[in-house]
Amino acid sequence: MSVHLPALDHGLMDPAPVRYAIRIHGHLGATVLSAFPALVPQQHGADTVLTGLLDRSALYGVLAEVEALGLDLIEVRQLTADRKSPGSGDRRSP
Amino acid sequence: MTVDRAKPRLIGRGDLLAALDRAAARKVTIISAPAGSGKTSLLRAWADRPGQPHRLAVMQVQRDQNDAQQFWLALLGAVRQASAPTSRAEPPAATPGFNGRAMVDRALSELAGQRGRFILVIDDLHELTSPDALAQLTRLLTSLRADVHAVLATRRDLPLRLHQLRLAGELAEIRAADLVFSERETRELLDASGVALSDAGVALLHQRTEGWAAGLRLAVISLTGHPHPERFVAEFSGSDRTVAEYLIAEMLEHQPDDVKDLLLRTSVLDRVNGDLADLLTGRPGSERILLELENANAFVVSLDPGRTWFRYHHLFGDLLRLELRRALPAEVPGLHRRAADWLIQHGQVVDAIRHMQAAGDWPRAARLLTDYSFSMTLDGQTQTIQALLQAFPPSTDHPELALVHATVDLIQGRLDEAAAHLAVAETYAATAPPDRQRRLHVAIASLKLYLARRRGNFADVLEQAKFLASPVTGQSDEDITLDTDLRAVALMNLGILEAWSQGLPDAERHLQEGTDLARQIGRPYLEVACLAQLGFASRIRSFATTRRRCQEAIALADRHGWGAEPIIAPALVTLAGNLVWTGEFDEAERWLQRTEWALQTDAGPGIRQLLHLATGRLHAGRGRHHEALEELRTAEHLQSQLAGPHAMASQVTGWMLATQARAGLAGEARASLAALDDELASSGEVGNARAVICLAEGDPAAALAAVAGVLDGTAPVVGYVTLVETHLLAALAHRELGDQRAANQATDRALALAEADRLVLPFVMTDSAELLEALPRHETAHAALLADILDVLHGSSLAAEDKPSSPLTELSPTELRVLRYLPTNLSRPEIAGELSVSVNTVNTHVRNIYAKLQARDRSSAVQRARELRLLSTGLTR
Repeated sequence: MSVHLPALDHGLMDPAPVRYAIRIHGHLGATVLSAFPALVPQQHGADTVLTGLLDRSALYGVLAEVEALGLDLIEVRQLTADRKSPGSGDRRSP
Repeated sequence: MTVDRAKPRLIGRGDLLAALDRAAARKVTIISAPAGSGKTSLLRAWADRPGQPHRLAVMQVQRDQNDAQQFWLALLGAVRQASAPTSRAEPPAATPGFNGRAMVDRALSELAGQRGRFILVIDDLHELTSPDALAQLTRLLTSLRADVHAVLATRRDLPLRLHQLRLAGELAEIRAADLVFSERETRELLDASGVALSDAGVALLHQRTEGWAAGLRLAVISLTGHPHPERFVAEFSGSDRTVAEYLIAEMLEHQPDDVKDLLLRTSVLDRVNGDLADLLTGRPGSERILLELENANAFVVSLDPGRTWFRYHHLFGDLLRLELRRALPAEVPGLHRRAADWLIQHGQVVDAIRHMQAAGDWPRAARLLTDYSFSMTLDGQTQTIQALLQAFPPSTDHPELALVHATVDLIQGRLDEAAAHLAVAETYAATAPPDRQRRLHVAIASLKLYLARRRGNFADVLEQAKFLASPVTGQSDEDITLDTDLRAVALMNLGILEAWSQGLPDAERHLQEGTDLARQIGRPYLEVACLAQLGFASRIRSFATTRRRCQEAIALADRHGWGAEPIIAPALVTLAGNLVWTGEFDEAERWLQRTEWALQTDAGPGIRQLLHLATGRLHAGRGRHHEALEELRTAEHLQSQLAGPHAMASQVTGWMLATQARAGLAGEARASLAALDDELASSGEVGNARAVICLAEGDPAAALAAVAGVLDGTAPVVGYVTLVETHLLAALAHRELGDQRAANQATDRALALAEADRLVLPFVMTDSAELLEALPRHETAHAALLADILDVLHGSSLAAEDKPSSPLTELSPTELRVLRYLPTNLSRPEIAGELSVSVNTVNTHVRNIYAKLQARDRSSAVQRARELRLLSTGLTR
């Protein structure tokens, strides 16, 4: 009896997955990486950057996992560029 | 084993303990820091330190706790455990429905009942995922008594709305930076574990772990007994891997195979004991390993004083689980399945179902949940059931689960959805495997009975109740337990339906059986429910019995903290109704208020109707006819929401019509009377109302005709209370017609009937002052009751039965007999004549009565005796 809400049209609840980069301090080994099967790891200096397509709830799931495993979270960044940032709009106005 | 049998190595951390002491002087302390920061260790060290001056209730929130009721039950249990640590404290009993407001009140009152300074410690609060429970907890925290404090530990800041406490300086916080180990503490930790390390090594270790408690403790495990501790630290320091992963890998690598295997395989469990660990590893001797691991402080902690159950530190457990899935992926479903089998054998149903789900064994999980859902609701786990239901993949179809949905819907009052799900369950049951059919049919019948009761649907009930006649024929103890739960609830629902549809004798029998069975199987909630309804069911037969049963039910409900729950409402409102009948209006009003309070969360139309009827009668008794009319109209309106004819129907209608007439609306009353169906119109209650209307219209002869059928017994009455009023109405009519002798006779008959239960209300309603005052006093044997009635008619409420203190010494039966003549105007010689004793004997008794009642004279003795309820035979014994 689940109810599917119609897609909300106000940007905040963007249903489409977006590419994220999640930077964690330290090199993650195979054990910890197995907690993030949907993400691709890459070492950057002393950090590990996990990238992958995530929708909102998947993103928060990843963050919860980061918290549960006591990892040192440095940065979360959205990589997809096609979304208009507030700054680009300003620049177009005279 | 590299981890030897050392003592637990929690170092003192005196500064931190002092900081927590200072913090705990505020109302609420929140320790908010990431996993592995040492929150739990700090709380343990603080709580267990010798000479801890405060009494503490310590609870740990269960993993992913989304069931608000289970959270509160655990909290209450911890408080009780702390208040009676020596004896085994009675655990709080669960209720099928959950009333968060009442639960917080209950917790507050238990906390307020503690003597002296008391501290409530809640660890792992971030595991509480129920938003309702967090809101309820906020209320608890902001309403704590002056010397009750709370200390909360959580991994992240929670949406607790505590800004008022913060503004008042009553909120203290300890955060990650406060928990970090200093270099000096790092040295102390190593020293305490017998690890010899150079100052440079200590500095390096401290730097690499950044003082993170979990990192340091893991490092200590590997360092203990390590042949080259300096090299270990140097290698660790040179690695870029995350602290926890590096150290856990190190630690596991150096464990003997059996220990490593045990850690990995049992990581699927939330709690582990030796037996379960043996089962999952396929080897004996696990308990010894677990004990040794705890001794070595290797993130294994025992959960009970006997050290039989253990759990892993959450962070440690999570990493082990990941490692298990990576190293032995094929084993995982089998481990869950074996764990489920063990848990089900040991009665831990919820955990068993979770493991079956984790194993992907959906059909078995569905079957188990179906079998147990009813008993689980009685254990107060309705929200847990909902969470388990949600865990089933939406793509798979499990028709059995319709029964579970129906159960949850019923408990939460969604009756139409419940009916729809029951229909699906019935269709499924018809095609289910034969070994499942009997169980499903019993469950469906019991739920249908429940639904019929909630809807007030009296038809077709007996059909559903047939299974009660057959003895319990379970294959196993487990079958019998499940059957007994279903039977106890079925007896309750059947009894309730019968009580409300006037099958009174059967109702009392079934409710009594239900009460006994509930007591036998340790289901106090059902016991209270049956008892409360039993009070209602016996309401018309005997006021004394009814009152006793109601009070018994209320006392039991209070003991379990359910005094303000809907479950006790039938007893509350029945008691209030009784008090209205006996003219104890003020006391009745108090119980009606309590009923209203109890009905705030859940109220079927039946019980609401009862509340409005009793309130209407109270107003009527106080002469407020218009307010009474409003209540009675609401009661009548609720009648239309009930599916069938109803125990209260004729009373509601009769009172409604009579009150209309008394409020000066005789015409309206006439019109309503004409519209009644035959069955209702021929009832004694409506007969009385017709007489009231006739009297209001100035037609006493017609009034006499209206009550003729009631007096000769051809019109059915709900109880003798109706007849008392009938006699009084006849008396009024006789007086109007000028026949004072017949009026006196009828009045005396009413008094005689009313004497046993001390009924006052019918006299008040009929405004019988003149009838009573016309009676020659010495001719009536009901002087005491008569005096009470006149009191109420002159505007006072009778004092409650149990309010005044008891007399110094009990009066003897002969003294009581003499006492009952004191309110009359008989002289002492006349009393002596009535009792066939000498005047001297009467004088002796009177002296004793004065002494025992501490009275100066006859009128003060009468006054005191009336306060103490000694003047009538009905209620005192």
